[in-house]
Amino acid sequence: MSDENSQRPADLDVRQAKPSIWRRLSFVWIVPILALIVSVTVAWQSFANRGVEIEISFNNASGVTAGETAIKYRDVDVGQVERVEFSPDLQEVLVYARVDKNIAPFLDADAKFWVVRPEVGLRGVSGLDTVLSGVYIEGDWNRDPQVAQTAFVGLETAPITLADQDGSAIVLRTNDGSALSAGAPILHQGIEVGVLGSPELQDDGLTVLVDAFINAPYDKLITTNTRFWDTAGFSVSLGAAGVSLNVGSLASLLEGGVAFDTVVSGGAPMKDLQVFDLFSDEETARNSLFNDAGRPKLNVAVLFDGSVSGLSVGSEVRFQGLRVGQVAELGAVVIDDPDEARVELRTVLAIEPGRLGLGEDATPQDALDLLADFVGQGLRARLVTGNILSGSLVVELVEVADAPEAILDVSAKPFPVIPTTVSNITDVADQAQGVLNRINNLPIEEIMTSAIDLMDSANALVRSDGVMQTPEQVAGLLADARGLIGSPALQAVPDQIAAVVEQARTILGQVSGVMTMVGNADLVGSVTRTVANVEDGTRNLGEISASAQSLLDKVNALQVEALLSQASAAIDSLQVLAENPDLAQVPVSLTQLLDETRGLIANGDVQALPGELRNVADSANQILTDLTAQNVSGQLTNAIAAAASAAESIDTASQQLPAITEQLNTLSANAAQMDLQSLAQAAENTLDSIDALVGTPSAQALPASLSSALDEVQLFLNDIREGGAVENVNAALLSANNAAQAIEDAARTLPELSRQAGALVTNTGAVLSTYGDRSRFNAETLSTLRDIQEAADAVSSLAKAIQRNPSSLITGR
Amino acid sequence: MESTRHGLPGLITAREAGLVACTRCGQVHAGGAVRCKRCHGPLESRDRQSLQKVWAWLIAGIVAFIPANIYPMLITSTLLEHTESTIVGGAIQLVEHHNYGIAAIVFVASIMIPIGKFIAIAYLAISVHRHQILKMHQRHRLYDVVEFIGRWSMIDVFVVAILSALVQLGGVATINPGVAAMSFALSVVFTMLSALAFDPRLIWDADRTAS
Repeated sequence: MSDENSQRPADLDVRQAKPSIWRRLSFVWIVPILALIVSVTVAWQSFANRGVEIEISFNNASGVTAGETAIKYRDVDVGQVERVEFSPDLQEVLVYARVDKNIAPFLDADAKFWVVRPEVGLRGVSGLDTVLSGVYIEGDWNRDPQVAQTAFVGLETAPITLADQDGSAIVLRTNDGSALSAGAPILHQGIEVGVLGSPELQDDGLTVLVDAFINAPYDKLITTNTRFWDTAGFSVSLGAAGVSLNVGSLASLLEGGVAFDTVVSGGAPMKDLQVFDLFSDEETARNSLFNDAGRPKLNVAVLFDGSVSGLSVGSEVRFQGLRVGQVAELGAVVIDDPDEARVELRTVLAIEPGRLGLGEDATPQDALDLLADFVGQGLRARLVTGNILSGSLVVELVEVADAPEAILDVSAKPFPVIPTTVSNITDVADQAQGVLNRINNLPIEEIMTSAIDLMDSANALVRSDGVMQTPEQVAGLLADARGLIGSPALQAVPDQIAAVVEQARTILGQVSGVMTMVGNADLVGSVTRTVANVEDGTRNLGEISASAQSLLDKVNALQVEALLSQASAAIDSLQVLAENPDLAQVPVSLTQLLDETRGLIANGDVQALPGELRNVADSANQILTDLTAQNVSGQLTNAIAAAASAAESIDTASQQLPAITEQLNTLSANAAQMDLQSLAQAAENTLDSIDALVGTPSAQALPASLSSALDEVQLFLNDIREGGAVENVNAALLSANNAAQAIEDAARTLPELSRQAGALVTNTGAVLSTYGDRSRFNAETLSTLRDIQEAADAVSSLAKAIQRNPSSLITGR
Repeated sequence: MESTRHGLPGLITAREAGLVACTRCGQVHAGGAVRCKRCHGPLESRDRQSLQKVWAWLIAGIVAFIPANIYPMLITSTLLEHTESTIVGGAIQLVEHHNYGIAAIVFVASIMIPIGKFIAIAYLAISVHRHQILKMHQRHRLYDVVEFIGRWSMIDVFVVAILSALVQLGGVATINPGVAAMSFALSVVFTMLSALAFDPRLIWDADRTAS
């Protein structure tokens, strides 16, 4: 090698002495050292800050994802799920999460974890953010670090309250959790003051317990006297004030809710987790103030053989008539008899020991002992009717005197069994059913059909033209009657009567004329002379005067009293007649009377009646004329002539004064006895005859006859109706209307005439009643009778005139 | 013998010829010169601290490469999810989505090439003093490849930078670079510096020294 280099320049010794290692060291080494330092530092820090791993076991970890699902506390991330695994027995899902180191000390026994998922409820939407971000695990613990744990049991649902929330937790006990749901509000005066937890059925299968939380400060409102009731749904109450519908908030309507009120003060402050009974409604709750709500109840079973239809959960249990509990459960149970299996109905009774008289602190065991004792003495359970109408039953515990031996089966499962006795059920329902069946069997349809037909017929009858016209016919009848009354013939009757009276007056005038004539003739002179002779020639003037006086006295006293009494009696009879009850019916039946009147009117005879009346008057006139012309004046003339001759005889025989006096006396007596007496007698007889006429049974029966006549008219009308001649009835009614109108007019204008017409009609009626056949002969007879009556009346009035003024007989006036 | 072994008979290095060449402008000077007459650059026959620098940068690159693979490279946040993916995890995801080509590119560019560079540089640095497996020409070619390929290793970082700049849609979708992006970039830079610090003339010296 040296050979090879020998021709070249000497080697440049490039190998210098090595400097110290530090000088040779490059500054570039700083870079990896820094990198290392940084890396190690970061690694250390991340390790040092690593959180504490905890283990949470869930039944269902739906949505929990390793590495993503966060652990949150008050909505702030405090950790993250690292792994999700199963427990070795696959029972649970184990979620391993790492939480911040500074949080870990607080994770003690009271820490709770639950998975927050989106939830749509009646009260809104919660956990909506988890829809996008996925579920997270919410944790809750108090601010008081105690013994830290790393293993927890996760909750299935969120707790109703957070750990540090102020308030009081209570427990509500009910038999029906259907209306309750977790998260439902607790209301007081309509304000939400708390929240309900999830209802949980207890082991006995009957009781439902609900955790509830009352927020502070409202929990101070709750004492042992507080009553809770269910406000779910709505209630309808029907009372005197009408129907009232009570609806809570919509949330409570759908979700349920609980309200409470402290009905009376003085309750003890509640304990933590105090148990309250939840009543079905406010009224029950308020009424239950003296209920032993918070005390445990004794559950006993009763096995009834027969049907328990009508018994329901909540039915009363009575002991000697007092409520001691209620039916808690109804169910069937198979009795496994060796001979034959049978089903009995098991009724579970919840008996409140305090109500059995055992005192406040009685326990169910005390009550059970007491009941066992009672059963030994004959206590039995039976069903009795609680409400007759509804047929609901209640369970009654009664002591049966001669009950067969039985014991309270304390060992029975699940509840002790009370023996039963024969039930006492009044089955009103069956009886009511029987009644209803009978009602049901009634031919209501047929009756209704008949009634409808009847109504149709009546309707048709009323709507028929005839009936529609009936009022008009009545009016026509009245018009006819009015026409009759207003007819010139009838109107002329008063005139005729006036004429009769005039005739009578004429007769009287003629009588008076006779008297005047007598006075003017020699009779008076004869008498005057006779008197003069008497004055002149007699000495027994006083006796004659006395005799004349006595004659006058006699004449004066002549039957006047009797006459008056007769007249009075006649008037009385008329009065009696007027007061006859039958007569009272006359006005009532006036319309019907008018019907008869119409009947009379329809009769041509009646139409002729005015003519007859006129004839009567004429006849009376004729009679009076005759009387005037012939009888009376002649007789009077004769009598006066006889008197004159007598006076002449007196005059001639004045010498024989006593005899004359005697004769004069006798004459006077005779005159008294004969003429005046008979005259008065005739008047009296006339009055008697009037009285008799009025008093005759016929006259007495006149009202009845009228009634019967009216009945006949009624029958006649019936016949008319049946005959279909309604138009006639209408005409008759119209005539009656007119007649009534005319009568009214006549009555208003001529009361006197009316009275006379009344008498006329009465007589006519009497004649008619006596002689049913209205023949002209009878009319003639009637007119004759009336003539006689008129004559009698004339004589009577003459007699009255003479009686009133006896001197006219002498003076001629 | 030696020339036979290396197949370069009669060749000597500039150093053996008592010359020193300027590495910047190529001017050859006499052995004692310390500064280039032409470009005034420092003249040095051999960089005595070359291997130190190589190792230092190499170690720094390897250190930086560790977090680049542990920490997430890309943080993708959309409405529904929040994804942090590492380099290897991303490649695996791509495989799972059957994007084998892209997965291969990502895996080669981000995993194989950096690691290959570490190995290659380490081998070159070691081969200066130790017995050689490869011939001098082969080692020099390896060096060329390492130096050439170094710049392309930043492709991952570029992708992350572009995505981060483009996908910023507020709450809907956001892509952010993770810690690994920075680490990876540092690792690449350190590796490039390491390759740059290697004086390839030592390859030939070593051979000469050995002989």
